[in-house]
Amino acid sequence: MPHFFSNKRLIILLVSIIILVALIGFSMKKRESLTLPEQFLKDSAGLTQTIFYKPANTIAGFFENLAEMKQLYKENQMLKARLDEYAKLYVQYEEVKKTNETLKAQLDKEEDLTDFKVREATVIGRSPDQWNQFIYINKGEKDGIKPKMAVISPQGFIGKVTNVSLFQSTVQLISDNDRTNRFSAIVQGERNIFGTIEGYDPKRQALLFKKIPVDAKIKKGQKVITSGLGDVFPPNLLIGEVVDIEPDEVGLTQTAYLKPSADLYDLDHVMVLEREMPAVDESLKEKEEE
Amino acid sequence: MKKILLPFLIYLAFISESSLMQALLPQENSMEWQFIPRFSMVMILFIAMYLNTTYGLVYGLAFGLLTDLLYTDIIGVYLFSMAATAYITSVFSRYLFGNLIVTLLLSIVGVSILEFFVYGLNSLIGISNQMIDLFLYKRLLPTLILNGFFAILIYYPYDKQLNLLKDTLKEN
Repeated sequence: MPHFFSNKRLIILLVSIIILVALIGFSMKKRESLTLPEQFLKDSAGLTQTIFYKPANTIAGFFENLAEMKQLYKENQMLKARLDEYAKLYVQYEEVKKTNETLKAQLDKEEDLTDFKVREATVIGRSPDQWNQFIYINKGEKDGIKPKMAVISPQGFIGKVTNVSLFQSTVQLISDNDRTNRFSAIVQGERNIFGTIEGYDPKRQALLFKKIPVDAKIKKGQKVITSGLGDVFPPNLLIGEVVDIEPDEVGLTQTAYLKPSADLYDLDHVMVLEREMPAVDESLKEKEEE
Repeated sequence: MKKILLPFLIYLAFISESSLMQALLPQENSMEWQFIPRFSMVMILFIAMYLNTTYGLVYGLAFGLLTDLLYTDIIGVYLFSMAATAYITSVFSRYLFGNLIVTLLLSIVGVSILEFFVYGLNSLIGISNQMIDLFLYKRLLPTLILNGFFAILIYYPYDKQLNLLKDTLKEN
């Protein structure tokens, strides 16, 4: 190949590499909002995605139904057994709810840190390359969705909203390996044990739950929930279950491996949560800034 | 085929990638294979082979940018990789006789070049932390199978249309 690397082409290659590095550097910065052309592109793509999504989902649903038919009998029996349990739990729940309400009324406490507003959304697409774990939902700024809101599926916490355009928004799943995709969580137990979720281990197919104190005793099967301390997500959203614990490389902290409670690959309908009461008073924040 | 239809067709392939990933290819297979649809890339590779290098480059740049903006968080990775892949494949195709086998082989080679580019760049930035052996077995191999299958599926209609388009380009 005589003309593969002529002088002119070499210069073009070098210039394009420089542009590449500049572009990557520009977009690595965490941006709060998208530029206008980006929003426009995302909206128009979201529209076509919505059209495409419906037939694709019908076909997928048909095959899923076929596969599920085999297990129906077994599942039905199990569910019947669980139904009795449910009735018992429901009575308990009503009772606890009532006591809680009376106690709150006594304290004159109306708002709670755990209160949040729920918005339903449909998943219209997913990032095709698996390096980025994004899903796209059909609700955007128009519906009141803002960046950093928590997103859950009926089984548990799945991620947070990163980008919002007018009619659709992007959700970063907890399994995304971005270095800014971290949040604090608690191991449920007699004493709350704090740590942070830091990405995903593809080899073990588990979430990494790091920075756990070395003396904390964690058992397999314990549930991990969001702490709500970061002022971003509501507390008490189920993230997953501990499957394995290991000491850190240096031995100062422990790392636990979590099996996500929500199936991160089979998402149809999700809920976007907006926290109603900020943990830090906004007026206080402004005063500090002054 | 009208020239204006071509970008539209590729756009459909591009959107179908995301729907396919969402609805039809969840990671439920027992082998944990990652099937990555690169349908728009396959169609651009055909263009780069059939028409000329410039067309391939322009389409690679356009859809690379679109992929970056819509499907990833970082602008530049696909922009560079898709354009470079289209260019390299187009250069290769000049030295090879164009028939079914060569076209399919080149599109598979093109998809693997793209995968390697994206893997390399993403590891450099720190987005991917997959080991190289896992990447080869669990990701590259299934991806090549899926996209090879797609290339076979579109070969006959697409080949015919692209040849017609080539003729009209020559006339002008």
